[in-house]
Amino acid sequence: MKMKKKLTVVLLAVLLFLVAFIPFLTDSRATLNLMTHIFLWAIFAMSYDILLGYTGIVSFGHALFFGSGAYIVGLLLKYVGASWTNTILGILASLIFGLLVALLLGSLSLRIRDAYFAMITLAFAELFLVAALKLRWITGGEDGFSFRVPELLSNRVVFYYLSLGALILTTFLLYRFTCSPAGRVLQAIRENEQRAEALGYDVFRYKLLSTAVAGVTASLAGSLFGLQMRFVSASVLSLEKTIDALLMTIIGGSGTLYGAIIGSALVNLVQDWFTGLARVYPLFERWPLLFGFVYIIIVLFFPGGLVRAFSGMTETILFKWQARRNPADNYTPGKQDDAVRVCLKRR
Amino acid sequence: MDAYINLLTNGIATGMAIFLLAVGLSIIFGLMSVLNFAHGAFFMWGAYVGAWIFGLTKSFTLALTSAVLVGAIIGLVVERSTISRVYGNHVSQMLLTMGLMLVLGEMVKVFWGPNILTSPLPAYLAGSWDLNGVIIIKYRLFTIIVGAATALAVYLILKRTRLGIIVRAGVENPEMVQALGIDIRKVFSLVFAFGAALAALGGAIMGPLGGSISPTMGLENQLLAFIVVVIGGLGSFIGSLIGAILVGITGALVSWFLPEAALAVNILLMAVVLLLRPTGLFGGSGL
Repeated sequence: MKMKKKLTVVLLAVLLFLVAFIPFLTDSRATLNLMTHIFLWAIFAMSYDILLGYTGIVSFGHALFFGSGAYIVGLLLKYVGASWTNTILGILASLIFGLLVALLLGSLSLRIRDAYFAMITLAFAELFLVAALKLRWITGGEDGFSFRVPELLSNRVVFYYLSLGALILTTFLLYRFTCSPAGRVLQAIRENEQRAEALGYDVFRYKLLSTAVAGVTASLAGSLFGLQMRFVSASVLSLEKTIDALLMTIIGGSGTLYGAIIGSALVNLVQDWFTGLARVYPLFERWPLLFGFVYIIIVLFFPGGLVRAFSGMTETILFKWQARRNPADNYTPGKQDDAVRVCLKRR
Repeated sequence: MDAYINLLTNGIATGMAIFLLAVGLSIIFGLMSVLNFAHGAFFMWGAYVGAWIFGLTKSFTLALTSAVLVGAIIGLVVERSTISRVYGNHVSQMLLTMGLMLVLGEMVKVFWGPNILTSPLPAYLAGSWDLNGVIIIKYRLFTIIVGAATALAVYLILKRTRLGIIVRAGVENPEMVQALGIDIRKVFSLVFAFGAALAALGGAIMGPLGGSISPTMGLENQLLAFIVVVIGGLGSFIGSLIGAILVGITGALVSWFLPEAALAVNILLMAVVLLLRPTGLFGGSGL
């Protein structure tokens, strides 16, 4: 146990160190943009993980929060002016908007069967997408619009550290949330909703809390994404954005938070690679097909995600090594859920 | 007045095509409690196969038949190979069927390209009749007749045949049906393929109704079908029929006055129904 914890801390420190030094190692805009992309998508995927991995709710309209965050910041900066006040106001406004929409959608659908939330989020996300396409004189429709940001924010390196900071902060806050008593109730609901209800928890309220946290976090990711691109088009509201977040969450392993970060890195790197390949080989323009197959295979055969499958493997190896050194230790690997164990250790 | 009759027939015709999509969705959910997010893909495949076969053979009957067949085959293959593995796990079912939607939608783009294609009418269904100044477009009437006939057939199958009794019993209590010695898994596969075939028929009829087909039509119409089943009540036959006609007419009327708001008004309708009667207008009363 101790061995593994130490290893994790060391690995994490090394990784953070490396990531923090990337801007000094390369001044390639493409690399910095890709990394920033990964950070922001990781925030978005983590917010999805709160719903899917920690509460067991499926949403097909998460792009609604992401996209409206980007639009709110973009519209404010374009029409009111590219100042710091507007940037901060825009981010705050998108967080509040995300909260309100999450509460609205949640209270419409969470009282009924779980399938309803998925349908209703999908419907409202489509509605927002159609609205963004049709309100051409404000949003620019399909072509979108570009806008200016405060001088400092258009510096790639500054934005790189800003989004890295946002990622670290969100990870920490969400981690504390999932380990809080409320977060534990969410996991209880995921495991067995009837039992959680029988224990006296108001399941509806906790689910609503979960959608609110996820919605606000996704809006943050979206508003930062808008600031990074300095451009918004209707594609930020599309179902593909939701599916991407979903894919990142389940590839990395749902219900772990860090899985979402790894998933974001994996999916973004592969997407970047395929987009490059598609320029040379038109065959790769159909890469969503490949992603779809990977997605189906993961849902069917690796419901715990690739990270769990991998960490299960390393754990077994570590366990064998430890058992040889200290046969009295009767710890068995894989007995408790990763996420739960991490929390238990802190207490 | 003319305009209203025109809008009404258009609304009912669209409603009928949506009904064919929604009824399968509803029965599949009622029986296996799988909310099939890939259902719109069957609809889209029906539309593309129909238009393709019609272009090749110039026979509309053959086009509809092959669309239905392809729908049933894809449905059966998909159910046997993937969905049957996740019965009982709602989260995996939704994630899986959405993945299938993605893959089936991309495959349409692989075969027929990502652009909008035209979906022509056969000559004998083109044009319209003029009945004392009221213009009735032939193809809309055809759609309404096919939709109504299919609705009647589905109703009779559910109410009068042995299979229908098994399905209705399965909706009430699948374990009990199994305990009576009926292989419910086979019934599941059959019903899934049947639902997919109905959706494909709906798509094949919808194509010429709008005149064009595109890779986004699967999701768009699936969304309407969701609105229909939420309004009518998931798992209710009558609910999907009434809901589909309601959504079709609302869509047609609103598009006439304010085309941008058609989807918004339907979603608003759904939200109101959810607030007042969360189980839908006909929910909870069985098939």
